[in-house]
Order: sequence, then C-alpha cells, then structure tokens
Amino acid sequence: MVAFRSSDTSGRSSGLLARCILFSLLALGLMILDKRYENLGHIRRMLSVIAYPIEVAVASPFQGWAWLRESVTTRETLRADKLKLEDELRAARIRLQRLDALEAETRRLRALRDNTVGVGSRFLVGNIMDVDLDAFRARVLVDKGARDGVYVGQAVLDAGGVFGQVSRVDQLTSEVILISDATHAIPVQDNRNGLRTVAVGTGEVGHLKLPYISTAADILKGDLLVTSGLGGRFPVGYPVGTVQSVKRDPAQSLAEVEVTPAAALDRSRELMFVWLPTGTQAPGAAPGSAPVAAPTTAPTAAVPTAAPAAHPDANKPPVAPTPPGATKK
Amino acid sequence: MMRDERISRLPMALSALVALTFAIVPLPSVLDAFRPDFLVLVVFYWSIQSPRTGGLTLAFVAGLALDVIKGVVLGQHALALTLMAAWATQLRLRIRVFSILSQSLTIFALLTGYQFILFWIDGATGNPVTYFGRWLAPVTGALIWPLVVSGLGRIHGK
Repeated sequence: MVAFRSSDTSGRSSGLLARCILFSLLALGLMILDKRYENLGHIRRMLSVIAYPIEVAVASPFQGWAWLRESVTTRETLRADKLKLEDELRAARIRLQRLDALEAETRRLRALRDNTVGVGSRFLVGNIMDVDLDAFRARVLVDKGARDGVYVGQAVLDAGGVFGQVSRVDQLTSEVILISDATHAIPVQDNRNGLRTVAVGTGEVGHLKLPYISTAADILKGDLLVTSGLGGRFPVGYPVGTVQSVKRDPAQSLAEVEVTPAAALDRSRELMFVWLPTGTQAPGAAPGSAPVAAPTTAPTAAVPTAAPAAHPDANKPPVAPTPPGATKK
Repeated sequence: MMRDERISRLPMALSALVALTFAIVPLPSVLDAFRPDFLVLVVFYWSIQSPRTGGLTLAFVAGLALDVIKGVVLGQHALALTLMAAWATQLRLRIRVFSILSQSLTIFALLTGYQFILFWIDGATGNPVTYFGRWLAPVTGALIWPLVVSGLGRIHGK
C-alpha cells in the first residue's frame, strides 16, 4: 500500500492563493511579451543554452549507439558499401557534367532576363538531435544555431529535396518545421508544365496536399513538384515531392491532390541549411529581428492564401532586394 | 525546520531534472502520443507531499523549463502547471489519505485540467493541436501515478 507520510500538514494555505495568482500573472505576462511583442528573444536564447546540456544528454546515448554500430561493421559490409557508393558517385558525376553546362546556360539566360532569383549558394550541414519536441507537431531540433548564422525562415534541405524551414533559432540549436506540419505551406510549381500552387502539410509525415488545384487543372499522377521560389523563402527548383493521387469530383470545384514528399522526412539525420544568393534574401531574415510568428511560407498573389496560414510577411513583396550586408548584423 | 527543508530540496530538484529528460527522450512515433507528462507528475507529487519546500516555485520553474525545451510560447506550461499544482496543494490533505485508486483518479482530473489549459493556450496563440491523441497523456499519466508515488517515496523516505 502506497501512502503519503503526513510530514507537512501545516502548509500555508493563506499564502497559496496569493502565490498562485502571482505566478499565474507572471506566466501570462511572459506569454503576452513573448507572443505579442516578441522581445524575449534574448532571454529565450539564454535559457536555451541552459537547456542544451539536457538535450545533449538525451541525444548522446542514441548517437553513441549509432557510432558503436558503425564502428563494429564487418569488412564485407564496408566493402559492399564502398562499391555501392562508388557506383553512385560515378552516376552522379556523369549527371553533374551535364548540370554544369546547364547551370551556365541558365545563368546566361537569367542574365538576359535580368532575373535575380537564383539557386541556393551557400550550404551548412547540420545533424538532427535525437530529441522529441512534441508528439503532435512536426518539428525537429538541429545542432546548428545562431552561432553558425542560421536565421528564422531559412530553407532546409536533405539529400532528397526540401525538408522544411527554420522556425526558431537558439544560440547553439535551431528548430526546423517540416513541410508536412499542418501549419506549413510551401509555394511549388509542377515541373512538367510550370503550374504554380501551394503544397500544404497535413500533420502526417509523408503526406502533403495541394488544396488549391481546380478540377480542370493539368496535373497528373507522378508529376514532380519543385519549389517555385515565390515568397522568397525557398530557393528555386528544389524537388518538394511527387503527385501520388489526383481525385477529381465533377461536383466539386477543387480536386483532391496528394503528394509524397521527396525528402525522407522521418529518416534523414543530416540536413542542409541553404543561404539564398545575396540580394534575394527574404525580408526580415536577420537573426533576432525576424517577425515570424507562425513559420508558414507566405503564398504570393498568384495563389490563394491559406486561411490559417496567414503570415505577417504576406503583404510584403515576395522578393525584396536588400543591399548586400544589410541583413547581417 | 530550516535544515529539514534544505535536505529535501536536492531529491526534489534531481527528480524534476530526470523527469525533464524523460519529456524529450525519443520514442517510436506510435508510442509518442502515450508519453505521460513525467515532470507534471513529479511536480504534483511534491506539491502534495511537501508544498513548503518546492511549492509553486517548483511548478513555475518546471513549467518554464518545459516551455524552453519544447520551444512553445514562454509561460504556457508555466501557467498550466502553476494552476494545477496550486489545486493539488489545496487538495493535498485529502489526496494523502485517499486509496491509490482514488489518487489516480484525482491525478487524472488534474492532468486533464493541465492538458486543457495547454490546449486553450495553443488555440489562443494560433497553433491549435486538435488531434484526439493529446488527451491520451492524462490517461497514461494517471496509470503510472502509483509507480511515481512508490518511486519518489523511496528516494524521499527516511
């Protein structure tokens, strides 16, 4: 039988109410300051440095296990892996030869059209920390933070395609919201015919949907969707996913389109942070001053705005050329 | 009296720290929704057992730690935990003499209240999480309450 020992029967009941009200008001004040005025960034960053050892302590056994498993693999496995990687490298090199030429051509054509929207120029690789932030939100913690120059709203890729964007930056870590989060939307384009739309997360890993496709629109199963670069958040031309199914109900004006993400949202361990070429960085990209409340990409005028995905940046021009260095502090 | 307080503060802080790490230990995604709020249970335990030592300060600090580590709006868990720990403190004399089953049911009510405040703040700050799954944590929390009581009772027993 488990029972409490009555060691403390003389608690101060009179003070309880007063303290409860005091702490509640304090918490409410913090929430209002954090949400409404967004000026607790420094305090939060300081507190998160204190939390960092806990995160590392939680993550390190899993990393240690992975390291151990990697270091005791047999020679056979290593050999097989090496052969496979060599094959992949050869194939990738051959494709890369073509890519160089294509990139040069694209740049020439873009220069002709005086278009500054370019492909991401600088990359930083980060590792996902083995920490569960929230069971009901698609967020991951990555071991790169403000110290490494990561900023809120930065695009994050993995080997397969677009993974998500940075939703919060701490001193040593940052939180990345996956494109499959229910509050996330990303402007995309059909690679086959250039049809522009918005891919919205469903809250389920491995599922996106295109809610703004009319039944008459030309979209087929198997179409590759790439980032359109509208909104100025994501670099142009990275794969987002492939169309998995298209359901057209003649009684409805909109089709139901399901998309499988190109990125391995639940398996990737290494992520790449992308810096857009100077001059095309999104407004408010400077660390610490970003007015991002909900980390949702702003769909531009070409597409309908998702009602719950309203964004403070939505009214600003999608690509505001800033003078070089203006976004750095 | 003072010496007594100082002695029991260490297990309190340690148990809270361990519970905090349990809050973010990775679990298979199937089990993730069932993860009980360990830190909340620990705070309830200390609120019932010895409100003078930790009391609402412990609840507030623990809530703030959850806010920071989960990356939600600062003060969300702090508010929910403060209010529910105050309620638990209010009820402590009754809860102590309850049978373990009645204790679990009371804890279930407290955890549901805690979850409801989180739910409400989530909605008010524009990140509503409306999956049914979030109401599973109070159930599992109430189920492991006897373990928490016997485990913490052993640490804290003299």
